[in-house]
Amino acid sequence: MSAAISLTDALQEVEKAYSNAGGGPLRFNFGGSNVLARQIVNGAPADVFISADEAQMNYADERGAIDRASRVDLLSNRLAVVTPRGSGRAIKAVNELAELKRIAVADPAAVPAGVYARQFLETAGVWDRIQSRLVPLGNVRAALTAAESGAADAAIVYESDAAASSRVDVSFVVTGPAAPRIVYPAAVVAASKNREPAAKFLAFLRGPEARAIFRKYKFS
Amino acid sequence: MSLVNVTLLTVTWAAAATALVLPAGLLIAWWLSRGRFRGRVLLETLVSLPLVMPPVATGLILLLLFAPRGVIGRALAPLGIDIVFTWKAVVMAMAVMGFPLLVRTARAGFEQVDRRYEQVASTLGASPLRVFLTVTLPLALPSVAAAAVLCFARAIGEFGATMMVAGSIPGSTRTLAVAIYSFAETGRDADAAALVVVSAVIAFAALALSNYITTRAGVRA
Amino acid sequence: MITLDFTLQQGSFVLELHEQLNGGITALFGPSGSGKTTTLDAIAGLRRPRVGRIAVGDHVLFDRSHGVDLPPHGRHVGYVPQDTALFPHMNVRRNVLYGRRAGQKLSLDVVVRMLEVGQLLDRRVPDLSGGERQRVALARALMSAPDLLLLDEPLAAVDVERRRRILPYLLRVRDVLGVPVIYVSHDRAEIDQLADRVVVLDEGRVVPHVRGA
Repeated sequence: MSAAISLTDALQEVEKAYSNAGGGPLRFNFGGSNVLARQIVNGAPADVFISADEAQMNYADERGAIDRASRVDLLSNRLAVVTPRGSGRAIKAVNELAELKRIAVADPAAVPAGVYARQFLETAGVWDRIQSRLVPLGNVRAALTAAESGAADAAIVYESDAAASSRVDVSFVVTGPAAPRIVYPAAVVAASKNREPAAKFLAFLRGPEARAIFRKYKFS
Repeated sequence: MSLVNVTLLTVTWAAAATALVLPAGLLIAWWLSRGRFRGRVLLETLVSLPLVMPPVATGLILLLLFAPRGVIGRALAPLGIDIVFTWKAVVMAMAVMGFPLLVRTARAGFEQVDRRYEQVASTLGASPLRVFLTVTLPLALPSVAAAAVLCFARAIGEFGATMMVAGSIPGSTRTLAVAIYSFAETGRDADAAALVVVSAVIAFAALALSNYITTRAGVRA
Repeated sequence: MITLDFTLQQGSFVLELHEQLNGGITALFGPSGSGKTTTLDAIAGLRRPRVGRIAVGDHVLFDRSHGVDLPPHGRHVGYVPQDTALFPHMNVRRNVLYGRRAGQKLSLDVVVRMLEVGQLLDRRVPDLSGGERQRVALARALMSAPDLLLLDEPLAAVDVERRRRILPYLLRVRDVLGVPVIYVSHDRAEIDQLADRVVVLDEGRVVPHVRGA
């Protein structure tokens, strides 16, 4: 299972539920969705791919790496701006970000969380001012860690990441018409040798038990 | 713009890192080559550590020390000194990783200088520091130059520690090696390939220069 | 008065001296391995005796019982090793002036004229002949205004003809500058010509000898 790194905590709990429900053993490979997509295209032995955005799923699809028929939109998420816990700094509006020295994000060049962050900042009209303050990192969890450790003054991560961490404060969640549309597609990998179990797991992910777990972790 | 920029910045940072470790590195190399003192093995081991540990591990240690909440970062923050995720972290990571290579190579050079010269200089009234600066160093210059070149080359190629402690901020902390990684990760394959060629050329030139210096010295000796 | 009263151990070799020397030229004579160079090294501070005392006049260089052990650069002892060890990366002038201290009374001129190295000053070390090297090395040692001069087989690498020509320089040093000299050699003829006294070493100990025997 190659899955976007923001799903780490949620999927580990889903794994337990799946096993209790009689499902077979699962192995997870978490990472930035862009890295996962390229791994799959290059022949990595994954059975299921869950991407944090459509662009990376499309990348894999265009190269015939996924089973198009199995593709579904699985989850959604929201962006959140977080600050290190105890830093005493609360950011009420997006343009206040320009007052900070360093804002950690996943690499806006291709990692979904970073791409969404860029969309958000562009829509809000502050991208040009804030761009030089961004610290692009390999994936969204790295951005979260940077905020947790205080190495960055703030980070733009998923609401689900903020919820999973006890060392950051959420300044605000990005909502409303300016918020980017976040979609997590999932599909069975074309070259998978375990199509049936893969499809079975995918169905489980769309079922009520899994949904309840995802909601708990602030996915929608 | 960005590829030339990345190369120029990386070369500048590597040169700065080499210049930074040169004085201390040479003195320590000389010290190790000459004395039998207590704690010498400990010093040798400490110096060699970055060479043998995984670079990311070294980078993580630097990060923990210098992050705003880290032991050293905490003391620097009120002074307004920011290290992590700035070019200073890049130079520091390069310096730490290049240091052992510098010391080892220079030490071998110092060991080859005939002690008689140093002893005679001593009897002529020169303090140990003066002996080092006026006799040992000039006579070991080819090795010292080769050591500096190797340190520089290592700094250029430094990736793991730099990535950890400085990230990959374009125009600010993105070195050649880190850029290759970032470009490869985000699908900029052509750019990544171009930088691979650049780093190969630089590495080749550095090694050729280092070999030339030491061979020429060998011929003269 | 030069006091050499010490025991030095090196592996299984033991060197033991109990000598008091008045000025002038003292020859240190003996077969190879008898400890001649080691003696010079101990006086210069390049080797440390186990016990004992080394002094040049009132200047104590080493005294184990009083915790005195001056580093070589503080002993004011001029040392010309067997291979002269002229600094290859400096020209003759810079070599000779290396040990010169500010404000010392001995001038370059005097030494240069005494050893006739004037026309060599701008030459490079590899261009010098064996005899020229010896004179330059001697000049360098003298320019540091030492209280004692140590010469380790200075004429070993010089041919017989030139040897005869250098001997007078050594006598000049003794007579004009009054610097005491300890002179290691295995050549009887040299010793007979130069030395005011002879100390014979054999396997690390001084053996009594009869001059001319």
